[in-house]
Amino acid sequence: MQLDAFFLVLRILFIVILYLFLMQVVRAITRDLRKAAASSDDIGAKGPLVLGHLIVVDSGPSNILPGTRFDLEPQTTIGRGPTNTIQITENFISSEHTRLWFRNGKWHVQDAGSVNGSYVNNQPAREAIPAKPGDIIGVGYIQFKLTV
Amino acid sequence: MIPRSPTGFRRYRWTELALFILPIIMLLLEMTQLLLTKLDTTSTPDLRKFPIVEGLTPILGLIAVLLLTHVMFNIFFRKSDQFLLPLVGLLSGLGVLMATRLGPAISDPAQGNKQLIWVLIGLIVCLGTMFALRDIYYLARYKYTAALFGVILFCTTLANALRSKPDTPTHDQLSLGPFAFQPSELLKICIVIFFAAYLSENRDMLAEGGWQIGRLRLPPFRQLGPLALMVFIGLILFLVVRELGLALLIYGTFLSMIYLGTNKFMYVLVSLAIIVLLGFIGFKLLPSYARQRIEVVSVDVVNWTQASEDIYSKSGGGFQVVQGLIAVASGGLLGAGFGLGHPGYVPVVQSDMVLTAFAEEFGLIGLFALIGIYLLVLYRGFRIAIEASDVFSKLLAAGLTSIFAIQTLIISAGNLKLLPLTGIPLPFLSYGGSSVIGNFIIIGILMRISYNTALERDGIG
Repeated sequence: MQLDAFFLVLRILFIVILYLFLMQVVRAITRDLRKAAASSDDIGAKGPLVLGHLIVVDSGPSNILPGTRFDLEPQTTIGRGPTNTIQITENFISSEHTRLWFRNGKWHVQDAGSVNGSYVNNQPAREAIPAKPGDIIGVGYIQFKLTV
Repeated sequence: MIPRSPTGFRRYRWTELALFILPIIMLLLEMTQLLLTKLDTTSTPDLRKFPIVEGLTPILGLIAVLLLTHVMFNIFFRKSDQFLLPLVGLLSGLGVLMATRLGPAISDPAQGNKQLIWVLIGLIVCLGTMFALRDIYYLARYKYTAALFGVILFCTTLANALRSKPDTPTHDQLSLGPFAFQPSELLKICIVIFFAAYLSENRDMLAEGGWQIGRLRLPPFRQLGPLALMVFIGLILFLVVRELGLALLIYGTFLSMIYLGTNKFMYVLVSLAIIVLLGFIGFKLLPSYARQRIEVVSVDVVNWTQASEDIYSKSGGGFQVVQGLIAVASGGLLGAGFGLGHPGYVPVVQSDMVLTAFAEEFGLIGLFALIGIYLLVLYRGFRIAIEASDVFSKLLAAGLTSIFAIQTLIISAGNLKLLPLTGIPLPFLSYGGSSVIGNFIIIGILMRISYNTALERDGIG
């Protein structure tokens, strides 16, 4: 008889703890989401909008490490000059080398009158060429991979 | 931003550790109750003679291994997801408890310990998966190997089905010496890997569509091949192997991944229409096991008629499902109490029908909480998929989570007579080695993807 009452208590205790556990998980997840939302707000407030990245896959004769990542803004220029969004100080990079921009959900690449040329998948980009994530973008002798 | 260089103290996975406290209490509580139910209730229990430590050893071992895994995550994968391990740990702990409890009822007293060993192997496999997948694209590169492996597993199931008698309930077994192994548990992972790699490569092609009939755009012929193969596998599974559950599982995952990959609802509708049409024709042509399974859903348990009685008493008919429903109903709102129900009447209660035993002993409230745990696991899975940085990881995480979701859905609905009952295990709760290991591989891949995402976002730090 006593044992039965004890079992009832155990059963209710178990159910209560089970729901407490579920509540704990949900609360922890909510906290996590808030933190993530706050940190993404911070990024939006501090820096310009980053829509994609260029990752160095082949650095050619330069001393940039392969795997280095550059942020891409909706309008990005690459070159040796200090006014560029991405500045690469190498001899074979022209002062204004390549332009990238994002329009209608697609990246476009065009050479900005460089000496050594800009390429999308080894195709010279004298005119604007659309590029999709995963494409290899050549700036002079440096090869980048476009990612989102 | 997340603090760049947190101190060693703050870097610890505190959330995970905190989430372990209540599951540990729960598991110990239930194990104690299970031991107490075995006491002779007529005499006064002498608690001093009671072998409390020996009885609790299995569950203490499980807790120790879970905490060890937690420490390993802290050392090697500090930034991976912190919610999955406690949730999955609780689920597999409940699985061990259910196996221990149901073992004597089906005259296999060692079942609990066997399940415990499977969970331990599963946790090791989970860690091994995380170490092995240093580069997740490794899986994408070997997608045709995965597909080939899947086809071999599929063929073993097919060969088994053709060889064995038509009455046996499941053909989804492969005997390797003393172990009976379910190829489908690995088959489903292979299929998800292949589809994630395939879709992430051909996504543009599939999304744009090659040729057109009226308003409907279909993918180009070259891309259509693997998709047609899926329809074929689904139909073969349904009609020849008579594994309705596996067919539903694989085809359902295929549909969700197609939708996730291309964002075209039309493909889903068309594929669904094709399988329903072909399945219906096959169903009409083959009056067999599959038809009988579907008939069971029509049994009216409340208003018992002669038609119900016919299906109930037929061999391979509604006996199992109806007994399961009676078990669930006898549990009521609060349940009979762990170890105090009578789950032995339901056939195959330890694996396929484990949900009914759980519902009988923990009641409707316990059942809701269980579904809540599954939902939270799924939520974390899709969250990992959303946060992942590249298409392949996204599709892989979402696909693995989908297959987990669909499997849980199909077998729970089957137990409650909402779908035809099929022989697939309930993830982590059902007794069975290959199911536990397969699901731990899924969790391992998800954890690895979340770790990769965190590394890309914050650096190694």
